[in-house]
Amino acid sequence: MNVLKLFSKILVANRGEIALRVIRACRELGIRTVAIFSEADRDALHTRFADEGICIGPANPLQSYLNIPAIISAAEVSDCEAIHPGYGFLAENPEFAEVCEASGIVFIGPRSEHIKLMGNKIQARNLAVRAGVPIPPGGVEGVSDPELALQGARQLGFPVIIKAAAGGGGRGIRVVHSEASFRTSFSMAQSEASSSFNNPEVYVEKFIESPRHVEIQILADNDGKIVYLGERDCSIQRRYQKLLEEAPSPAVGGELRERMGEAAANLTREAGYVNAGTVEFLLDKEGNFYFMEMNTRIQVEHPVTEMVTGIDLVKEQIRISAGHPLGFGQDDIRIQGHAIECRINAEDPDNHRPSPGTISFYYAPGGPGIRVDSAAFESYYITPHYDSMIAKLVAHGRDREEALARMQRALEEFVIEGVKTTIPLHQRILSTMKFRKGEYGTDFLEGLNK
Amino acid sequence: MDIKEIREILKLLERHGVQDFTLQRGDNKIRVRKNGFVEERTQVRFREVPVAETQPPAVQTAAAGSGAPTPALAADQLPVGENQFLVTSPIVGTFYRAPSPESPPYVEVGSTVNKGKVLCIVEAMKIMNEIECEVTGKISAILVENAQPVEYSQPLFIVDLV
Repeated sequence: MNVLKLFSKILVANRGEIALRVIRACRELGIRTVAIFSEADRDALHTRFADEGICIGPANPLQSYLNIPAIISAAEVSDCEAIHPGYGFLAENPEFAEVCEASGIVFIGPRSEHIKLMGNKIQARNLAVRAGVPIPPGGVEGVSDPELALQGARQLGFPVIIKAAAGGGGRGIRVVHSEASFRTSFSMAQSEASSSFNNPEVYVEKFIESPRHVEIQILADNDGKIVYLGERDCSIQRRYQKLLEEAPSPAVGGELRERMGEAAANLTREAGYVNAGTVEFLLDKEGNFYFMEMNTRIQVEHPVTEMVTGIDLVKEQIRISAGHPLGFGQDDIRIQGHAIECRINAEDPDNHRPSPGTISFYYAPGGPGIRVDSAAFESYYITPHYDSMIAKLVAHGRDREEALARMQRALEEFVIEGVKTTIPLHQRILSTMKFRKGEYGTDFLEGLNK
Repeated sequence: MDIKEIREILKLLERHGVQDFTLQRGDNKIRVRKNGFVEERTQVRFREVPVAETQPPAVQTAAAGSGAPTPALAADQLPVGENQFLVTSPIVGTFYRAPSPESPPYVEVGSTVNKGKVLCIVEAMKIMNEIECEVTGKISAILVENAQPVEYSQPLFIVDLV
């Protein structure tokens, strides 16, 4: 039998905490790492913690972290066998995955064709239909004519939601409550889709009111083995940006988990998808779930799944990309205890805008059940060039109650001075009765601000 | 205490395997500490840069004051005089001094160069990018070896302006 080898050197095509996360996984696996960095990140932790570092461009991400030729060249001059893209930047860019494939460098993630397939929401919805996975009522094809779209909306019944086919990050989405505002919303969604994704294609589906956002983590190896690792509840969002996540979901029990897990696995199988992925669902109050989209990257909120399953998702991504079979099956997956993640962003609480600046004092919490994934330190400058996340604070407990208590305790311990953060907002969320009871949907934050 | 002096000190400490060292001269204070982790990292750095210019060993100079981390080698840290011009690499890639292994190098130390003159090639993704001189002058130093990988903004040549 062949002894399967892992890579000897990986280039980490990202920055911030996710670059550190990948470097940590590599260190534990005995793989050497190459960090790429922009001129603004010369002193950043990923630059320092990797075995090697290569400056690939100026601060502007278009010329550095999104610069495909520079990154491939860096991988070539440093003799890397594989590239881990993290999340954001080039993680879900099919061209990047394609260039890696063509250059003989392993892209740690799915194949480019699957990134492309899942990147088009209409194609992904059609795939879900073929796999027997429920989708929200609505068109399975794009529309460009507002009159035709309005006809479709009437059949569905208002409210409806207009979404960009190439969408993501909450852009190109419009909820329409009545016929009167449909035409305006439709053209706005079209132009937003066009400017954000260079593709004006939109589609209309039934708007599910006050749903929960529940997603299933999948791992699939090259032999066709697919395992689901339970769900994450990501309903606490603002403008479609997740703020707080937990696993398991307070709204999902054993039987529903199995049905959602099987649906996600079926979709993965139908696509022939390999590596880690996340299938996002909307869950309504009656326990009906509908496919939204599949994310083809490691996600920001992956630590909550790691805490409750004990499985290191980044290491699994690397192993799968190196051709290893999964070392466990569905029956080996146990959800143990409860985990919550709070995203600590540099943000002005008044207008929710990013608040760049220098961290003048930094103390991260610790103690039982606490995990902090962060690339911040005292004197670290949060540049306006990149995203405003300072840290992911994760609390794990025997049950939800203990996880909540630990999170509250850790939020109190966390000291970040010099910039405004989302810590007070998380403290407020955690103190509400609705959240404590687990009775919340994606509209929770709107209600909180009233 | 300038960067050159610090470099000399670090070289000496390296040679004699000193683990912890403090030197105070007037208002200037420098402390150098070493540990195993740091040692391992300096060996595997991408660039062969003098120890003083990489992060570890932790160099703390009271004169620098701010307590900010010491930046890695950057263009502005080289001893470039007022009448000199620093040519840096515009891309990540492999540095070549000649168009082919058989050809003579584009320039040598002492070569006269003018605006538009090709100084070297940086190969990135199998594409040979000719790097042209932006000034007129004389090559006073070549800072990288042939076939060495270079990163964005890495200093390549020092040109004496005429």
